[in-house]
Amino acid sequence: MLNTAGLSLDQAPPIRVPFAFFLAAPFFVFLAGALLLWQGEAALLTRWSPSALALTHLIALGFLTQVMLGALFQMLPVLIGARVPGAAWIAPLVQVFLILGTLALAVGLQWGGAVWLSLGGGALAVGLAVFMGAAGVALARGRGAPRTLQAMRLALFGLLMTLLLGVLLVAGLLGVPIGGLTAWVDLHLGWALLGWVGMLILGVGYQVVPMFHVTPAYPAWLARPAAWVILSGLLLATAATLMGWGGLAVWGFGSAVGVLAIFALVTLDQQRRRERPRIDVTLLHWWSAMLSVLLAAVVWLSDGRAELVGVLVLVGVGLGLPSGMLFKIMPFLSWFHLQHRQVAARRFDVRLPHMQAFIPERWARVQFGLHLSALLALTLAAVWPETVWLTPLGALMMMSAAALLSWLQLGCYRRHLQIGRRFLTSCAQ
Amino acid sequence: MSSIITEAFTHDHHACDHLLAAAEKSLTSGDWAVIGQASEALISTVNHHFDVEEQTLFPRLASIYRVASNPIEVMCSEHAQMRALLSDLGEAVAQRDRDTCQGVLETFHFLTQQHNSKEEIVLYPMADGALRDQATEIAGLVARES
Ligand SMILES: [Fe+2]
Ligand SMILES: [Fe+2]
Repeated sequence: MLNTAGLSLDQAPPIRVPFAFFLAAPFFVFLAGALLLWQGEAALLTRWSPSALALTHLIALGFLTQVMLGALFQMLPVLIGARVPGAAWIAPLVQVFLILGTLALAVGLQWGGAVWLSLGGGALAVGLAVFMGAAGVALARGRGAPRTLQAMRLALFGLLMTLLLGVLLVAGLLGVPIGGLTAWVDLHLGWALLGWVGMLILGVGYQVVPMFHVTPAYPAWLARPAAWVILSGLLLATAATLMGWGGLAVWGFGSAVGVLAIFALVTLDQQRRRERPRIDVTLLHWWSAMLSVLLAAVVWLSDGRAELVGVLVLVGVGLGLPSGMLFKIMPFLSWFHLQHRQVAARRFDVRLPHMQAFIPERWARVQFGLHLSALLALTLAAVWPETVWLTPLGALMMMSAAALLSWLQLGCYRRHLQIGRRFLTSCAQ
Repeated sequence: MSSIITEAFTHDHHACDHLLAAAEKSLTSGDWAVIGQASEALISTVNHHFDVEEQTLFPRLASIYRVASNPIEVMCSEHAQMRALLSDLGEAVAQRDRDTCQGVLETFHFLTQQHNSKEEIVLYPMADGALRDQATEIAGLVARES
């Protein structure tokens, strides 16, 4: 019989819930930039340096995961027709744990200290577990495009594996004996980048790439097997790591990397065939992120520097794609919620500006330019770590991109509040 | 399970997407006769789609599945938002205001996408289940030459 549980098509939750995630996220990029400015050489010299580890988590959790969680709380009704139960109070709870956990973990990784590491690992475990439980309920009830649903479910599984391995590694750092620690770090990284981030890009991309720019749907030869190949690759790598067969694990990761590279190529081709003529900032971010994926795959497959792969994935994809999405989602939500209030208050005398008025396109392009310069400088710095001025330059660019993003977001929110007040004030007259 | 309604209405959504893209493309031409034609085509096709949903599909679905009435209400209020944007578009074309045209189309596009997605995922499959014997007739209302 028809499943109608959780059937609701309105834009839950209230706007402050996703906006809290969006507004807090650039702060972590700023922190990462500051850390890079201060400890930069070590970070790009080896991925095993304390600052490289701290930086990675500030960006991956503080920015990327934070933005994506905020967007998922908001977008699941649209993507899969089911909303996260109790999002209005679960989301702030998840966010508090995510923020505290990320900060504590970064401190622990940078300076050591059992207290910080266990605090960070513990808070992240609690926050992400609550998120996975709530989102799991929504995904179990979800319907619609089977490829999207499947990729989103597997992404959640990827997040779970990342978390479990992360907790294991924290235990290892705290002195629990774990054989072959570096192989477990690679596995944690593999699940994080391929199983969580990669799978999420697949799931979201299948929906939003055709939607945003009116392109043909993704071809079935890619969309049908893609998520499963990534999953089996990661499971193979996990089994191989358990058995201590490093060589086999590489094959597992390799197949997942290959699929994502093909996805990036197909995405670029889809967007080339788009019907909407305009090249907006979101499209620019998609292009630079997909090119970063391709380049990262080539470097990884040809056994290049891991630090270079890290820069391309973390900065090119991890900072770029969420920024591109924010420039569309935030103005839309601002407009949409105001429109609702206008209808509810029957105040059609107040004229609403259109989406673009909330974040000026020109400034969004400047922000993209700063992001691109940061990506370029840090990529070159990872290729030639001996050129000492490249890293601080990249760090400064990254901090200015984050600061401008933050400024534009605040402007968007301020505009939203300003117009919202007009419904109240002119009522009194 | 049959998917006649889902397929026909989803197809009509895509037809509207193509018309929106064409309207945006016409803006780059700067020829206001072309822009007027393109936006007219968009406005009339979208309005026809809404009419079929509001006058036929949704009422019939609601009469069988009471649980559908709340989502239907949400969908209809979004139709009202989109109709308002379309009338803004008509005004902007009459005033030959290119920037406003572009702004309205962008907002309309985003609103439409999230609206259509919810219909395609939830309401149309439900309608296919509930209105099996009328599916072909209802689908015929949006199946126009495209
Ligand atoms: Fe509709
Ligand atoms: Fe529709």
